[in-house]
Amino acid sequence: MSSGQSFIDQGDDDPRIRRPRRPTRMRVSRTASIVPHNSIAGRTLMLLIAIMTFLSCITLGGVVLVQKSAIAWSSEVGREVTIQVRPIEGQDMDSNLRASKSIAEAIPGVGAVRIMTEAESGKLLEPWLGAGLDLSLLSIPRLISVELSDPREFNADQLSENLATIKGATLDTHSAWRQQLNAMSGTMVLTGVLVLLLILVATILAVVFATRGTMASNRTIVDVLHFIGASNGFIAGEFQDRFLNIGLRGGAAGGAGAVLFFLVVGTISANYLPSEAGSQLSAFFGRFSLGWDGLLLLILVVPVIGGLTALTSRLTVRRFLTQIS
Amino acid sequence: MIEFDDVALRYGDGPEILRNLSFTIAPGSFHFLTGPSGAGKTSLLKLLLLSLKPSRGHITMFGRDTGRLSQDQLLDMRRHIGIVFQEFRLLDHLTTFENVALPLRVQGQKEADYAENVAELLTWVGLGDRMHAHPPLLSGGEKQRAAIARAVIAKPDILLADEPTGNVDPDLSTRLLHLFAQLNRTGTTVIIATHERSLLEDFPTPRMVLSDGELIIE
Repeated sequence: MSSGQSFIDQGDDDPRIRRPRRPTRMRVSRTASIVPHNSIAGRTLMLLIAIMTFLSCITLGGVVLVQKSAIAWSSEVGREVTIQVRPIEGQDMDSNLRASKSIAEAIPGVGAVRIMTEAESGKLLEPWLGAGLDLSLLSIPRLISVELSDPREFNADQLSENLATIKGATLDTHSAWRQQLNAMSGTMVLTGVLVLLLILVATILAVVFATRGTMASNRTIVDVLHFIGASNGFIAGEFQDRFLNIGLRGGAAGGAGAVLFFLVVGTISANYLPSEAGSQLSAFFGRFSLGWDGLLLLILVVPVIGGLTALTSRLTVRRFLTQIS
Repeated sequence: MIEFDDVALRYGDGPEILRNLSFTIAPGSFHFLTGPSGAGKTSLLKLLLLSLKPSRGHITMFGRDTGRLSQDQLLDMRRHIGIVFQEFRLLDHLTTFENVALPLRVQGQKEADYAENVAELLTWVGLGDRMHAHPPLLSGGEKQRAAIARAVIAKPDILLADEPTGNVDPDLSTRLLHLFAQLNRTGTTVIIATHERSLLEDFPTPRMVLSDGELIIE
């Protein structure tokens, strides 16, 4: 029937037919979803997706924090090297320290060079030897802290070579520690990504089962749609819209929960934890702050989960419809 | 338009409920399908709706052998067939208006384009003031009228109806039959399964009588 053409032929002159009144103008409303909205399966799936999104965001946030902290640690450590001068019999420690300092200052890319006092060197050993010990009886090496003004210009090999003229003086660029740090952070990031993938796979499986359950419980609707000529694509589209809605709502709830979690934990670690615990947390996670880019990444999880839910349900529905055809 | 060639139907490994069905239905014709309860009227309607495949024989519709059609082609062909189920099969979560508009929605039409026509048809079948009600709140007769409205709203080439006047009063029954006749005059082929004698007497049209799984055209 063409649009706007009256359905009923008002010219029918059969006297037995009661003439209907002309209808009042139809109020055009928003078209209702063909798939029912309020089902128990739908609410359960929404809760499940919210939990999965929350876990995904927490994992992703953890990965971002570790990655950011590792970069910060590496960059901090990379801007400093240490010259160690061991006490050697017959050698004047103060003289060797001064000579080493001069050699370091002559190297391009080196900024401030500072000889650490005996007390400072002793304090570095406190975690292992305890406080209050008289270290004057021990022959402990002395340290020179060398800050780099330009790490790219700095030539560690040249400094190491020049220090060879001073007995007992060696250069520590912390490279072994940095490698370990990079390996550790890389492992944590990889683990996080794997956990994230597992969560996504679990989400897909949950959506597949939920979709099949929904299809089975809405079989009458599917049959009626088939009888009036709806294509499998149309039916799949209707279910996809429903599941996209569920995915986005569940994802938004889970994502909002995760963002709130990071904001609350960040605030607590910054303001309420005892300074000792706070500094330990800071050592691992910096300021426990994801930053705007990290938060944006978490927010992006929501459309990804929503899209994944919609796509999974569409494919599942198509498969279901093919099976019942 | 419709041609059955030695068609038989059985469910699973059971006996043949329909057999030796060979007949032709011309475009624009009007038929009553009648016979005792359990004779297989509903099964024959399902074959005509292409929701069942014959266990034997060939069905040709719109010049095409339905046994050779893909699933998508079958679904596309169904858009040319309107069906009124005995058990109505309205979707409970949709309003009467939305149920009736469903075939047009499936065809991709916008609500703004079909709203007037759906409202007009609903008013004509006496459901003008019930168009926003959901099926669980409708009486049996109202559900039946809504089901009929849904079947005819897209002006199908073939209209199949399974006991369409079983739950309505005689006056409305007559009006509905005249709606079917009106559709028939515009070219729609109408096949109505019924065992109501009064209808058969009021409308002297060819009768397809099913008896013991076989069809006789009177």
